[in-house]
Amino acid sequence: MTDESVPRTSRRRFLTGVALAGAGAGFGGTLLTGCTGTGATGGKRAQTLFVAGFQWAPPTSFNPLNPNGCWPTAEDNMQLLYESLFGFNLLDGKLEPHLATGIAAPDAHTLTVSMQPKAAWHDGKPVTADDVVFTFSLARTHPEVPFASFFQFAKSITATDAHTVTIALDPAHPNPAMVKSLLAANYVLPQHVWAPIAAKNKQISQVPNMTPVGSGPYKLDKHSAAQVSYTRHDGYWGKAVRGKLPAPKYVVHPIFKDNAAGDLAFERGEVDVMQQFTPQIWKMWQDKHEPIGTWYDTAPYQVPGSIPMLVCNTTRKGLSDPRVRRALAYAIDYGRIAKTAMSQYSDPAKSSLILPRGVEQQYFDAQNVAQHGWSYDPAKSRSILENELHARKGSDGVYRLPDGTRLGPWTAQTPTGWSDWQTALQVVAENAKAAGFDVATKFPQAAQTTTAVQNGDFDLACWYVAGVSPASPWQRFRDVLDDRAVPKLGVSAFYNYGRFSNPHVPALIDRAATLTGAAAKAVYGQLDQIFMANAPMIPLMYRPVDFYEFNHGTWTGFPTSRNPSGPPQFRGAGIDWLYDLKPATS
Amino acid sequence: MTRLTPRFHVAAGIVAAVLLFGLLGPLVFRGHALGAVVGGLYDHPSGSAWLGTDNIGHDVFTNLMYGTRTSLTIGLVAGLFATLIGVVVGTLAGYRGGAVEEALMGVTNVILAIPSIVVLILISIALGTRSTLAMAVVLGVTSWPWTARAVRAQAASVRTREHLDVARLSGAGTFSLICYDVVPYMLSYLCMAFVLQVSSAVLNEAALSMLGLGPSGGVSLGIMLHWALAWESVRTGAWWAFVPPTVLLTLLAFALLMLQSSLDEVFNPRLRRFVRRRRTTVAAPPPAVRKAEAA
Repeated sequence: MTDESVPRTSRRRFLTGVALAGAGAGFGGTLLTGCTGTGATGGKRAQTLFVAGFQWAPPTSFNPLNPNGCWPTAEDNMQLLYESLFGFNLLDGKLEPHLATGIAAPDAHTLTVSMQPKAAWHDGKPVTADDVVFTFSLARTHPEVPFASFFQFAKSITATDAHTVTIALDPAHPNPAMVKSLLAANYVLPQHVWAPIAAKNKQISQVPNMTPVGSGPYKLDKHSAAQVSYTRHDGYWGKAVRGKLPAPKYVVHPIFKDNAAGDLAFERGEVDVMQQFTPQIWKMWQDKHEPIGTWYDTAPYQVPGSIPMLVCNTTRKGLSDPRVRRALAYAIDYGRIAKTAMSQYSDPAKSSLILPRGVEQQYFDAQNVAQHGWSYDPAKSRSILENELHARKGSDGVYRLPDGTRLGPWTAQTPTGWSDWQTALQVVAENAKAAGFDVATKFPQAAQTTTAVQNGDFDLACWYVAGVSPASPWQRFRDVLDDRAVPKLGVSAFYNYGRFSNPHVPALIDRAATLTGAAAKAVYGQLDQIFMANAPMIPLMYRPVDFYEFNHGTWTGFPTSRNPSGPPQFRGAGIDWLYDLKPATS
Repeated sequence: MTRLTPRFHVAAGIVAAVLLFGLLGPLVFRGHALGAVVGGLYDHPSGSAWLGTDNIGHDVFTNLMYGTRTSLTIGLVAGLFATLIGVVVGTLAGYRGGAVEEALMGVTNVILAIPSIVVLILISIALGTRSTLAMAVVLGVTSWPWTARAVRAQAASVRTREHLDVARLSGAGTFSLICYDVVPYMLSYLCMAFVLQVSSAVLNEAALSMLGLGPSGGVSLGIMLHWALAWESVRTGAWWAFVPPTVLLTLLAFALLMLQSSLDEVFNPRLRRFVRRRRTTVAAPPPAVRKAEAA
C-alpha cells in the first residue's frame, strides 16, 4: 500500500474544515440564541413589550421592602405587579388615583385617603384600608423599610372604615407633601400574606418573596439570569376603572451586561422602551433612520427631573469658606458639562435648587438667580479669590489663603461606571485646576463612594439629592440645607452629606412645608438666596427621573411632547402609556 | 559576526517609531496642550483636530501622543522591575540550588498559580488613587515569576560550567560569581525576557485601564479605549476614538514580540532560519535538475 492510497488531510483542507465548522457552530449558536432570547416568546413578540435599563443582575428578591428587589418590585418603580395609592405625574405634579380614588385634607393636620372599592389582590382577596395601615405601620416595627421616615411626618395612620384611611400629621411640623410623596412612592402590601412574614422575620427586607402576590395588572411569570418576564393578569380589578387592560400581554426585561449591550439591542428593535443613558441617541434616527424617539425630538430630548450635585464637604479646611465654594462654582463650565457629560440631555445648570422646567417651574425665580447666583465666569472666580479672600497663587498654580490654607489637594469622586457623572467631574477638575484649585478625580466602586459620601469622608463628590416628587422642591431644600437629624462625621447621613449648617434654614424649611403657591415661592426664594450665598452644593446638570427612550418598531403610541398622552416616566403615573400602546403591525 | 534579519529591522523600526511618537511627538506637534478643550462630544476629524475629539472635547491626536508616552513609561518601568526581580530570584535559586532553590521556586510556583489579572485588579482597587509609577510597580511585581523560573534553569546550567571553578579557585565570593560569571552568560536571554515583559506590561496596563483601573488623572492608550467603550463610540460611529489607540497598542505589542523572536534568532544559532534555508538549498537541488542529470 502506497502513501498515496491513504486519504491525507492537507493543511488547506484542514483549515477549510475548521472554518466551516466554526461558521456552522456560529450559525447554529445564533439560531439557538434566537430561540432562547427574543424567540422564547415566538409568535408572542407582537404581544410582548421588552423593557431595559432597570435590572442588571439575576433576580434574587421580589420584595418591595428590599431596595435591591428585582424590577419593578423595588420602591417607586413601574406599577406592574405591586401598586401604590397614587401615581405621581411629573408633567403636571398631580397624584393620579391608583389603589386610592383621592386624598383630602379636612384640616391642616389631617389627610384622608379614599380607597378603590373594587381593588383586589391577585389571589382574589380585596385590597382594604387595613392593608394600607399594615404596610405603613411596618415603619414602626421594622425600621429598615424604605419608608422608615413615615412617622417623622405622620403621627398616626388608621383605617376609618374598610375603604378610608386617616393620617394624622405631626402637629409640630406638619408636612402634607412629604406624606403624599411617601404614599405615592411605596407599594401597598397584602396584610394576609405579609403579617405572618413580619411576625416571623426581624429583617423583613431580606425575605426573598419569590412568589409575589400584588394587586397590579401583571403577575410574575418567569425569571432567570437572562431575563425576568411578567404576564398580564386579565382579571385585574383596574379593568373596570380604566375600561381596558394594558396593551402588552407580556412584559419582559432582558438582563444586559451593561448599557452598551442594552443600547445595541434597543437599536436593533429587540427592546421597545428603556431607561438608559445612551450617548448621542439622536444619531439612531438622524443617521441610522431607526424608528426611535424620545420625549422631545430636539435637545434636551428628556424632561429634567433631578439635579445631580457637586457636594462640597464644608468641614474640610478651605472648603469650609463659602467664598471658596462660590469661587469654585464660578469656575465650572456648565455648558460644557451639558454638551459633553450629559450628551445634550440637559440645559446648562443654573445656580438654583429649583428645576427651571416642568412642574417646579412655578417656584423658579429667574431674577433671584440672576441677582444672587453664579454662572461660568472664570474672571469672577479669580476676583473672589484675589480680591475678597486675598489669596495668592503659588508657583504650583494653586491659590493659598492668607492663613496658608492651600486650595487642595482635593479629590472629586463618584462611582466608577457612572460614565456621565465621571465625565462631569473630569470637567470640574479641569476647570478647577485652571482656576487655581488642586482637584483630582477619583472613581471608586459604588459601595465605597456611598459610604464615603454618607459618612462625610470626602472632599467633593458628584451625588444625587431628591428629584421631582409630590414633595419637591421642599425635599431638595431639606437635602441640601437642613442640618437637623444629620449625624456627625463618621456616621451615615441620608441628606446634607457635606454637613452644611445655617441658623436661618430650619425655620424657613418648616414654614415652606406648610405653604403652597405664591407664599411657598417667596420662602423658597429666601432659601435659594441662602443656598446661592453659601454654595454648600453646586448643581452640575439636570437629569430626568427616568431616561425615556422608545423604539416603535413593534409597539406604537408611546407619548411624546407632541402627543403627551402620558408622562415620560416608568414609575408612578408612567403606567398610563402602557394602556395606550398599539401593535405596530396592526 | 551574527547577521541581523530583516524581521529584526522591521520590528526595531516600528518600536523606534512608536518610541519617537510617544517621547518626541508632544515636542514636535504642539497644536494643542494636553487637556485643552478643542470641541464637543466626538467631533469629527478636522483641520484643527486631526483625529477628532474624544467624549470630553479633547484632541484625540494629542491624547494619542501622551497616551503612548504613558503606556511606554509604564511598560518600560514595569518590564525593568519584573526582569530585575525575576533575575534576582531565578539566579539565586539556580546558582545556590538545594533548600534555597526549593524555597524560592516554591514561592514562585505559588505566585504563578494565582491569576495575575485578579491580583492586579485587587491591588488597583485597593490603591484608590494610582500614579503612573505606582501602576508600573504593581504591574512589575505581579509579572516576574515566569522570568524567575526561566532564569533559574539558565543559571543552573551556567553553574556547572568550568569557568566558575576557575573563578572559585581564584577566591571569588558568591556575589562576585553571580555578577561576573553567571549573569553575563545569560544576558542574551535576559534581553529577550525584558522585551517580553515590556510587551506584556503594556498590554496589562491597557487591560486594567479598560476596566477603569488605570492611572488616575492621566491618559494612556488603555484609558482612551476605556472612555471610547464607556461612551459607546463604536455604536455612534466615532471610529477616531477607538481605532488609533487600538492600532498603536497592536503595533507596539506586535513589534515587541517580533523583536523578541528576531533577537532569539540572533542569539540562538539553531533558530537562524536564513542559514538553515541556505543549507537546505545546497543539500537538495531541484528535482528537475536531478532528472536532467539522470537523462
